[in-house]
Amino acid sequence: MRLHDLLRETPIPGQEESRQRSLAVVRAAFAEREPVPRRTPYLKPALAFAILAALVAAAVSSPGRAVLGSLRKTVAGEKHAAPELFSLPSQGRLLVSSPHGSWVVQANGSRRNLGRYRDASWSPHGLYVVVTRANEVVAVDAKGNQRWALPRPHVRFARWGGSRIDTRVAYLTGSRLHVVAGDGTGDVDLCGEPAAARVAPVWQPGPVRIVAYAGTKGRVYLIDADRCSLFWRSAPYPRPEALRWSDDGRRLLLVTHDKIVVFGHARGTPLAVRFMRGVTDAAFAPRSHRLALVRRGEVLELDADRLRGRPGRIFVAPGRLGQLAWSPNGRWLLVTWPAADQFVFVRSARPHRLAAFSGITRQFGGGSFPTIGGWCCTSQ
Amino acid sequence: MAGASRHERAWVRGARAGSAADVDALFRHHWPLAYRAAYLVVHDAAAAEDIAQEAFLAALRALDRFDRRRPFGPWLHRIVVNRAIDWARARTLRAEISDDGTLERAAARERPGAGDTDARALASGLAALSPEHRAVIVLRHLLDYTPGEIAELLELPRGTVNSRLRRGLDQLRATIGKELR
Repeated sequence: MRLHDLLRETPIPGQEESRQRSLAVVRAAFAEREPVPRRTPYLKPALAFAILAALVAAAVSSPGRAVLGSLRKTVAGEKHAAPELFSLPSQGRLLVSSPHGSWVVQANGSRRNLGRYRDASWSPHGLYVVVTRANEVVAVDAKGNQRWALPRPHVRFARWGGSRIDTRVAYLTGSRLHVVAGDGTGDVDLCGEPAAARVAPVWQPGPVRIVAYAGTKGRVYLIDADRCSLFWRSAPYPRPEALRWSDDGRRLLLVTHDKIVVFGHARGTPLAVRFMRGVTDAAFAPRSHRLALVRRGEVLELDADRLRGRPGRIFVAPGRLGQLAWSPNGRWLLVTWPAADQFVFVRSARPHRLAAFSGITRQFGGGSFPTIGGWCCTSQ
Repeated sequence: MAGASRHERAWVRGARAGSAADVDALFRHHWPLAYRAAYLVVHDAAAAEDIAQEAFLAALRALDRFDRRRPFGPWLHRIVVNRAIDWARARTLRAEISDDGTLERAAARERPGAGDTDARALASGLAALSPEHRAVIVLRHLLDYTPGEIAELLELPRGTVNSRLRRGLDQLRATIGKELR
């Protein structure tokens, strides 16, 4: 037997499919690669020195102080902001988490504290809320009555998915993805899949119990949580930041530190990849593949099916913006603006009318600026 | 061979300049053997796909730092084989912890029967070796590196490479029951 020939002839199952998948990934990665800039050794120190000199000049000279003062005024937020969150501009209920607990805000502005929880998220039809404490996953109703609690270490990112009659909650305990039934029973480490990155898992909308999560190496895994079968996994996209499903469950968005990646539901090969550094949050508009993205101080609009198109600009602000949440009817987009301590609601139709509300941190108990857990459905 | 290496240098130059066609050419030329090498070390098609793909992506990411005077193939094979060894070691550890019998099942599946081909017998024989022994056999007899080159690729003493080759082939011969050349 000639070993060389045998090694070359040993059959490998699915070799051609594997080659095609890998070629597609390599092509996409090459198309999106960041050109390596030629480094000029003296450029960084010179730049740092120039910035330092400008700051010193600004601090000691009166014109400089004036400029800094005007900048501070700009970050003070929208000029005509209402002093309280009197009402939401659209139907639905907003879920907000602050250091003082989780809150439900009704359309008329009334708010109810659900308890000292964090990281709240709606059940699929808004009947319940899943919240976390440091070592506990808790399900509560919209009035804050506790339905069940599950003690687990280092819990975060609990997310509820499913239909009216059958639901599941996915959450991370440490870096392990767990799934528990909607009544708090049957908690399992999901299929022994690789460790999860610090990104919330997301359920595919609809009755089928499919969950997507990002691994520590940046791969996206799509898993049938009941059968424990892996539908697909993607190539690695390092430093994942967020995953989002479109309403129809046909598009899955991955945001990483320097790109956005759109997958179809059927394959782990991306439909499109776009290099875009600095995106921190994204949200699909209801019943569409239209995306809103937060990139530093601007909110951009992009069609996930034409990812390479020119992004539209919905809102621009000095300083960094926080999170996004669409109203259930898709007509308003909530943009949080921590630097200005404001919630800004932007009408999605042009011209983009604004409704801004300030003093947000104080209204939710003080401390740090609150986070949004979702703007949910009108049904109770 | 000289023609191939001339082509390869042109492809690397083109890929560095941003030519997608040259990346395709590099991929078509090198991926099949890289994938096969990974598969023969890890004995898992999905893992081999990941390893070959990640190695190729890593090589592309580092293309700007690549010394163009050196051949691309050994550079890629080094990444592939080292990652494959790491993966196979990790799987062995996981199997010990979970005790799920994965390796045993794989070995049982590949145990040669009366109707099995020589290639199947070889796969079964390879599966019985340690990842380190599989790696040197693959580098020597699939990718045609000399023991000196293998020592350089795996950063091992040449004597270790020779002994792994000898013991690996002896064990393979005993498992298969035929002479190997």
